[in-house]
Amino acid sequence: MKTFLTALVAATLLVTLGTTALAQPPQHLRGTLSLSGAWAIYPLAVKWGEAFTKKYPDVKLDISAGGAGKGMTDVLAGAVEIGMVSREVDRAEKAKGAFPIFIAKDGVFPTASAKNPALAQLQAKGLSVKTFTDIYITGRVTSWRQAVGGPHAPIHVYTRSDACGAASAWAATLGAYKQDDLKGIGVYGDPGLLETVRRDPLGLAYNNLSYVFSGDALAKGIVIVPIDANKNGKVDPAERIDTREKAYAEIASGRYPGARREYFVTKGAPKGLARAFIEFALSDAGRKILESVGGYVPLSEKESAAELRRF
Amino acid sequence: MLQRRHIHDYIARHAMLAATLFAGGLVIAIAVALYLRAHPLLASQSLAALLRGHTWAPSRGEFGFLPFIAGTLWVTAVAAALAVPVCLLAAVYLAEYAGPRVRAVVKPLIDVLAGIPSVVYGVWGLLVVVPYIAETLGPYAQRHWAHLPLLHTDYTTGFSILAGGVVLAIMISPAIIAIADEVLRAVPREYREAAQALGATRAETITRVVARKALPGLAAAVVLGLSRALGETMAVLMVVGNWPHVPTSIFDGAYPLPALIANNYGEMMSIPLYDAALLGAAFLLLVLVLAFNLLARVVLVRATREAV
Repeated sequence: MKTFLTALVAATLLVTLGTTALAQPPQHLRGTLSLSGAWAIYPLAVKWGEAFTKKYPDVKLDISAGGAGKGMTDVLAGAVEIGMVSREVDRAEKAKGAFPIFIAKDGVFPTASAKNPALAQLQAKGLSVKTFTDIYITGRVTSWRQAVGGPHAPIHVYTRSDACGAASAWAATLGAYKQDDLKGIGVYGDPGLLETVRRDPLGLAYNNLSYVFSGDALAKGIVIVPIDANKNGKVDPAERIDTREKAYAEIASGRYPGARREYFVTKGAPKGLARAFIEFALSDAGRKILESVGGYVPLSEKESAAELRRF
Repeated sequence: MLQRRHIHDYIARHAMLAATLFAGGLVIAIAVALYLRAHPLLASQSLAALLRGHTWAPSRGEFGFLPFIAGTLWVTAVAAALAVPVCLLAAVYLAEYAGPRVRAVVKPLIDVLAGIPSVVYGVWGLLVVVPYIAETLGPYAQRHWAHLPLLHTDYTTGFSILAGGVVLAIMISPAIIAIADEVLRAVPREYREAAQALGATRAETITRVVARKALPGLAAAVVLGLSRALGETMAVLMVVGNWPHVPTSIFDGAYPLPALIANNYGEMMSIPLYDAALLGAAFLLLVLVLAFNLLARVVLVRATREAV
């Protein structure tokens, strides 16, 4: 009789656990999950968090923004479960246990003023990654004439002064470089950089997706310098990006060289609440939320599935 | 009864001593903490190489601090050149010439200037000073000052030492004016009366008697202002160009130490030597400010000894 009872209890427990894993009834997830990190990911994490806590009312989320590096430091120190990191994870950080999960795509775009004297040549020929490297890294190209055969005028190279994901992504677009390899006058923050290049006809800068467009169109007074990705010396239709929709499509396709990855970072593979939250973010519901927030491009279904298989 | 009063006295004296030691000890505690955190960098490279290095490329393990030291000194020097003469003249006017009604209007205005947050100065510099230098002053310098040292330029984006210096000069002015004004007013009236009784004009009284008596205080006002200039971060960072090189002209961009720390602190801390390098920069800044204060004190002691 006793063994029968034990077996019965065990079976009930197993069934309950089984259904928990499958159907995830809301009342079985509880506790507090904290996230900190990149400003670039913060708005998205908040939206995901709202939907997640609606689904699991016993879960409390504590999300704070303070820069990618803070997120990384916090998660490695165990102060938060998930760090939001808008740059590639350094090898030294991985050695300390950082486990990055690719959660969204974004892009950084080279920008110039709409009053640029070499505008016609730029929009016909674009600049190859090699030319950008010669401008930003080696300093071999210093004039618009050298770059695209425009008028004889210097290029005023601008970069971000604050350590940020956009600069890391731009440096990585040009090759195996870091932010401190980028030459140029350093301007603080994305809006500052955009304003500076808008005002300077000879300026060249780079900006995040969400700052380059206002509404569906380009921000006023700004052009995106086409990147001649296939190096054929002219701007092909796919390389000309002038609307938000087009930018999303090119980033999603994986063709755009300036595409950038956003990460959730956990210490070791994600467990418990963190795991449930990340799985939610990468689910279909999570993707719909991402699209409604705007400014981010979702992973393809295949990419999401591949990320989920990693833990 | 007497006993209790003695105990009171004893406790009060020691409590005050503890408070004083605590305040003084803070400087040492901060310096030690910074030094310890910067130690990994100092252990891996020689101090001379760090101070003389021109290249800042942490990802390649190159940590040259010279551009940042030079940037700090340049911006502070430009701010001093712009602010000190104007501030001292303004303080003399307020203390010696201005009537009570002028004082009543001007003093609060200057005090408001002191209360404006530095980021507001930075935005103002970005919107007004930087474009003015890029569009007006820069092109003028390009045409007319090409052969002058310190003032020559091929082209300036406006993000420059001059822009940082202008913003800083305005930021440190209220403190310098306020202290200098107090110091001048503290000079006993009898000195002025005696000088004028001997037939000195007002200007002679001020330069020969009042200013000489007030010299240590005036110097302290300037030192305090410049110490703030050495460490001011946000407003300068927004307009100075943040370009790590050793400048040769006030129209070049520069990269002062505080800007280096503010731009990168928190972001790059998970990369081993970067952390040490930034705290090394903080330590260097602390040493720079202490050295500056020390130097000022030595000069001051000499000056007062000669004046008396």
